[in-house]
Amino acid sequence: MKSREQEYREIFMAEALEYYDAMSRHISELEKTPTDEPALNELFRLMHNLKSNARAMGYTQIGELAHHMETIFGLIRSKEKSFTGSVVPVLFGGIDTIGNMIRAIGDGQETDSVADVDELLANLDRLVRGEEPVLIDAGAAAEDDANRKLELSDLVYIQIKKLDHLLNLVGELIIDRDRILTLSQEIGNSALQATAAHLFRISDELQYSVMDARLVNVGSLFNKFPRVVRDVATAERKEVELTLVGEDIQIDRNILQIITDSLLHLVRNAIGHGLEQPQERVNLGKPAIGQLTMSAQTERDDVLIHVIDDGRGIDIANVRRKAVERGLISKEAATTLDDDAVRAFLFEPGFSMAQEVTEISGRGVGLDVVKLAIDSLGGQLRVDSTLGKGTTFTLVLPTSIAVKGALLFELDERSYAIPLMHTDSVVSLWPEQLHIVGGTLLADIQEESVPVVSLRRLLHNGDGPLKPVHRAEVTGRQDIIIVNYNNRKLGLIVDRFLRQQAIVIKSMSKPLDTIDLFGGVTLLGSGQVCLVLDVPALTRLFLAKRP
Amino acid sequence: MPESEATNDKKYNKQEPIIQLIVFRLGEEEYGIRIEQVKEVTITPEVARMPKTPPFVKGIANLRGDIIAIIDLEERFNLRASSEPLSGVSYTLAIEAKDYTIGIVVREVPQPLSIPISIIEKAPEFIQDININDKYIEGIAKVEGRIIVVLDMLKLLTPSEIMQLQPKSESSPAIVRTKD
Repeated sequence: MKSREQEYREIFMAEALEYYDAMSRHISELEKTPTDEPALNELFRLMHNLKSNARAMGYTQIGELAHHMETIFGLIRSKEKSFTGSVVPVLFGGIDTIGNMIRAIGDGQETDSVADVDELLANLDRLVRGEEPVLIDAGAAAEDDANRKLELSDLVYIQIKKLDHLLNLVGELIIDRDRILTLSQEIGNSALQATAAHLFRISDELQYSVMDARLVNVGSLFNKFPRVVRDVATAERKEVELTLVGEDIQIDRNILQIITDSLLHLVRNAIGHGLEQPQERVNLGKPAIGQLTMSAQTERDDVLIHVIDDGRGIDIANVRRKAVERGLISKEAATTLDDDAVRAFLFEPGFSMAQEVTEISGRGVGLDVVKLAIDSLGGQLRVDSTLGKGTTFTLVLPTSIAVKGALLFELDERSYAIPLMHTDSVVSLWPEQLHIVGGTLLADIQEESVPVVSLRRLLHNGDGPLKPVHRAEVTGRQDIIIVNYNNRKLGLIVDRFLRQQAIVIKSMSKPLDTIDLFGGVTLLGSGQVCLVLDVPALTRLFLAKRP
Repeated sequence: MPESEATNDKKYNKQEPIIQLIVFRLGEEEYGIRIEQVKEVTITPEVARMPKTPPFVKGIANLRGDIIAIIDLEERFNLRASSEPLSGVSYTLAIEAKDYTIGIVVREVPQPLSIPISIIEKAPEFIQDININDKYIEGIAKVEGRIIVVLDMLKLLTPSEIMQLQPKSESSPAIVRTKD
């Protein structure tokens, strides 16, 4: 993996070379029409940007030269000087020297290795003072021109849309590859098998390369937060010190895009609800300045992002009381729930712990939105908290969105898939192992009563509530998939279990994307279209419709 | 060159802009779509039924790696009962709507037809008889005794038009809160 320094340097190089090309173009235009104002403004702007970038990267010599050049262009712009006479060769020389310096950095050399810099700076100073520059003889300059090389940048910018398309194509290739591999084994021709095995390796590598091309540093998002934190802290009249950790952890660009709002929300929450006012902190014996940490780390194939504050923490008793008030759970049941299950209520829609609605947080747009965003990625959202000590939110994210493990099953002679992320277990039960309570089937799974519903009924039920189940309707062996969402288990009766498989999920295209029961579709090796069920939406549908 | 194309239809004025339609049969009538709205015509791929959609949405299909919704306009326009199955082979017109592609199943091979734009007349009132909301109808073209209903697919295929039932509300979190 490339170091952050190296990556920044490459980006600087690409931009600087782009600036250099634009400067060369504009100064040529300026030579033709010395009063060309747009060209002059552009040159001034480019010099200014180059100066800032170079200084930020520590290339002081480029920064210095760009600064001098900027000054002259400024004088020309304000009509105190004109782009004529001896000014012209000095400025052309200056831009060439900038080009040489940038190339020197690209070759891993020091900018000192570029000749005549001091002389050039002296000439620029003379111009500013209104003196005549000392020009080197034209012969050397002509020789330089003969040695001039044209080069193109080593970096290309690419629209994320194109990378998305590439990833989709690779996804399809993988599906066909799996199919070919299966067929080659069925046919048993050894040459075909060898080719299929080779295809397997190549497409694997291709998939890896495409996924790799989409990776960006978590820092590209994290680095936007110091400003956000400052603004929120000012509005909330709190003092916050933000620490960023693991900015060079890499993750798919689209995943980062999807969690942007979630991270914003969590950070606002942490400052708004989590951290106390400075005086309150001092009274509690904490330092007046609240600590907020955003960190990223890799764990096997996942990326973990933490948002940690050392504020007041989550009051479990309070959440438990609120959940009962809101009718999410009965008073008796609430007392037996463990702390993790109680914290899960925080992710229920509209469940806000804010006492007062402030500008920053507590507007009813709650953690459920964060939870949904993470769910959509097949990730997990966890919360851990100690009262009085602080709260940690953990986002468990896949590095890449391409491939997910799924359980395939059959219903009405069609294949469906459920992401393994939300699958607890599969069981086959006989009618006598199922109970009917209040019209709902219940199964005992590891000493826990889990509601069970026929997926066929759930999907094809009209707008009304589900009809109560009668004992006589349950006949024969029931194949049940136990899904788990937010600590809620639900059993789904399907026709037949098929197999476990890695699938590439394509999102549902418009206009069908309004049906949230399906997280997308995948193509099976046979070319058959297979719907991927969305467990969160399915769970909500069951809760809304149960008899 | 527009000039050379127009020579095929000498009876029409040479200056007249010609439009190309893809003509297909729904029920007993002929319908046309401007060719630029049609992405491709293909034999209907395998369609997966999708729960929670109106009956005229036949489901989704894989068209060269794109997953598209397939709809049946005969059912949409009540030209055929939904219980009546489609005959063996059918064809799908892939239509380019605003920001997605959608498939329309037809029973016979659709045919291209060039007509001058002026022969398309604005839709008369009687069209209401066959249960079509006239806003999708660009007009009626009369060509050599045939009557072709020219549809404006972009109006017909808006998401809200297709998803009449707004199934989203069924599993939306808003309802969950009142239960439990």
